[in-house]
Amino acid sequence: MRLLMWWSGRALSSAATLLGVSVLIFAAVRMMPGGFAETVLGPFATAEQEAELAARYGLDQPVLLQYGHWLAAVGGGDFGVSMISRQPVGAELLARLPITAELTVLAVAASALFGVPLGVLTAVRARPGGGGAAGRLLSGLGVSVPEFVLGSLVVFVFSRHALGLEVGSWVPLTQDPAANLATMVLPAAVLSVFAISVTARTTRDAVMGVLVEPYVTAAVGRGESPWFIVRHHILRNAATPVVTLLGTITAYLLGGALIVEHVFNLPGVGSYIVQAVGRRDYAVVQAGVLLAAAVFIVMNVLIDLLVGVLDPRLGVLAGRRS
Amino acid sequence: MKKLDRLTVGGLACLAVLVVFALGSLVGAGGDPDAIVGPRLQPPGPGWWLGTDNLGRSVLPRVMEGVGTTLLLSSVAVLVTAAVSATFGIVAGYRGGYLNELVMRLVEVLYSFPAIVLAILVAAVLGPGQTAALASIVLVTIPLMTRLVRAAAVAVSQRDYVTSAVISGARLPRVLGRHVLPNVAGTIAVQGTYALSVGIAVEGGLSFLGFGVQPPQASLGVLIQQGGTYMIAAPWLILGPGVVLVAAILAINVVGDGLRDRLEPRETRSLT
Amino acid sequence: MSLLAVRNLVIDYAETRALDGADLDLARGETLGLVGESGSGKSTLGSAVGRLLPTTARRTEGEVLVAGEPVFDLPAREVRKLRKKHLGFVFQDPIASLDPTMRVGNQLRLVLGRGGDVRFHLGRVKLDDPRVLRAYPHQLSGGMAQRVAIAMAMATSPELLVADEPTAALDTQVREEVLNVVFSLAADAGTSILWLSHDLPAVARRCDQVAVMYGGRVVERGPAREVLGRPVHPYTAALAGSAPAAAGHGVRLEPVPGRPPVLTGPSPGCAFAPRCAFAEERCDHERPQPVLVREQEVLCHRAAELSEAETPREVTA
Repeated sequence: MRLLMWWSGRALSSAATLLGVSVLIFAAVRMMPGGFAETVLGPFATAEQEAELAARYGLDQPVLLQYGHWLAAVGGGDFGVSMISRQPVGAELLARLPITAELTVLAVAASALFGVPLGVLTAVRARPGGGGAAGRLLSGLGVSVPEFVLGSLVVFVFSRHALGLEVGSWVPLTQDPAANLATMVLPAAVLSVFAISVTARTTRDAVMGVLVEPYVTAAVGRGESPWFIVRHHILRNAATPVVTLLGTITAYLLGGALIVEHVFNLPGVGSYIVQAVGRRDYAVVQAGVLLAAAVFIVMNVLIDLLVGVLDPRLGVLAGRRS
Repeated sequence: MKKLDRLTVGGLACLAVLVVFALGSLVGAGGDPDAIVGPRLQPPGPGWWLGTDNLGRSVLPRVMEGVGTTLLLSSVAVLVTAAVSATFGIVAGYRGGYLNELVMRLVEVLYSFPAIVLAILVAAVLGPGQTAALASIVLVTIPLMTRLVRAAAVAVSQRDYVTSAVISGARLPRVLGRHVLPNVAGTIAVQGTYALSVGIAVEGGLSFLGFGVQPPQASLGVLIQQGGTYMIAAPWLILGPGVVLVAAILAINVVGDGLRDRLEPRETRSLT
Repeated sequence: MSLLAVRNLVIDYAETRALDGADLDLARGETLGLVGESGSGKSTLGSAVGRLLPTTARRTEGEVLVAGEPVFDLPAREVRKLRKKHLGFVFQDPIASLDPTMRVGNQLRLVLGRGGDVRFHLGRVKLDDPRVLRAYPHQLSGGMAQRVAIAMAMATSPELLVADEPTAALDTQVREEVLNVVFSLAADAGTSILWLSHDLPAVARRCDQVAVMYGGRVVERGPAREVLGRPVHPYTAALAGSAPAAAGHGVRLEPVPGRPPVLTGPSPGCAFAPRCAFAEERCDHERPQPVLVREQEVLCHRAAELSEAETPREVTA
């Protein structure tokens, strides 16, 4: 019951945030420079053409109404029409989403698979004064190499020595899964480096926090083995910050995917947004940015659900606070 | 005072070298970044220690100028962030109530955007350029710092010495400035360090996509973007600025870690 | 051979010295109350028995023998075996010493293994309510949680139970019940108890032996009645004098004016000298060696003369 209240509280606050996000994006798009009529129609449009365009996009109405229309449309899944391609933005986004999703899922999987064990291992072996300088440097390096640098480097190396992996092309998953993977491995790897490092660092911090808890000392005092203690007492108690991080990381990866798709020339949502900004294609920009923020917020709601299950104290704490 | 560990000292030294590097370009050390000094796309050699670009300009002075642009932009942005976050974080944390609610809501909204996506949105509104890069870094780094400053301010404002200052009739600005600010300064310093590295990455990414600093001005992101075109023939065009960029971010992160470990030393326990 | 023997144990943290040459013995089946102010090194000594010190702690000198095994010089695997077979621990904060994400029943099952009878072990600590099994630690009262912790520690019938102020965090009413459970279980199983406590009258009532700690050393030890009834060391005398029977049990000790020392290295003389009414010149720079007075071992240069007086308080320095 308390848990349910905690969950609904979190969901409500997320909805408020999403509303704030939508206002911000709407305001931003209206503030963008240059009449987009000019962008769409070219410099020699007549006044009638411009008026007709403004009517079609609702530009002659008060701003608040425009926002209302826009919100209603967006809520119904209608993101408007691309001013360049004249195609519905929603359909185009949907067609490109699988690529970005695949990239992100691969990177999240890699961080869970490599980052979590790495973090647990380094925490359990930590000694006062921190680990060795080499280990700290390496973990620091992982969070310090931006995707566009690493990506450029990888493109350079693999364009010279392909090693069976494709660079700069893309094959749909449905067409040939093996060939698809060959084209996705490198971009996903570039995207993963940061995610793995951050996951490892967060896991390490979380585990070190749990290690000094009295119940761990109690388990050590009962003569349990390190592996037993990690498995039964540490993993679950250290899980909350790590699981929470996965939400933040998903958002981060969406941003990283934008750069990686651009560098590797993948037709995903990210490269779509980059192109749209260059062409001042407002409908696409607003839809893409809204999508990224919405995914982040929804991810966080899901993670709150999970955290509520993982930590039995949360529901009670929330109940006490209210 | 405890001695700084070796890694942190190394990070500080690396940063000092980069700053000297950037200052050097101001007095013309390394040569004129716009002068054509030799044939195009030459590998590193005497006369052009980091090679030449597609116009025959020496890469070294361009990297030096680029470091300067990147560091200056990021530092200014982080100072703005620190000022804004400190103000709002402290007031929200100390005052609580509606103001707190409002600030945290706004922060939450900003936090919902992936960094580079927010940067792109800003660039779309302001138009590509230095201002967009600056504003992006500020907006990207504000949420986390404000949150942490607020949390620290909440903790501090419940302590006895603050209560006693209030009881003894100190005015609000004095309480915040004299008692709360010094106690959240550590948080601001650590987060500011991390924000600086985020700022450098955001400037790089935005300029790399073509929406940040505009050529002919050099920034590390611009250089890497331009080098990408000739990467196959002349990899030194991205290697030079790439290595410098990574070194800058790494050095700052290492210093941040050192600072954090010093301000909040961690206990460990052995499982054996 | 005694079950537990601590020999000249010196434990250092980064900049402070927690134990400055502590000696202690405990025979099988005996109960020993380890008393002293906060910061006297009680907890460090208690943790050292099972090598449970934080990683910042360093054993600089001395050794701890449990059932003849040198705890600090054993390989990790042997220490685990020793803890499992011979040792049990109960800590100050009962709720924090249970895993917060696991139901109590599951935690007990984890400790007892497959064949363990969870109900039986809970019954031994007088917890018969089956709802306890399904509860999470934060849903229990402190007293209930401590009983669960005791059941877990005593499940293997260890030879030595180290109880670090197990009742300090509990309400006064539950203290006696919890102590009754501990001491009766231990008596049944033949378990020795090393009880770290602030509660002098309770120690006097329940323990065979008492050891008094000050400045990281055991300054007086011997049979409880002797040590607390006819103390020799001025510090013990002050402790015992300031905890009159009239005050009853459960009273925290704050006996002597001044503060206990914070050592950064070996104390040059007697650590108590600055607060001692009987201190002489040599107390400041000569470390006292153990002296046997009647049945107790005392670390005091003037032990012999002080013990001759009816009570040390009347001796004029």
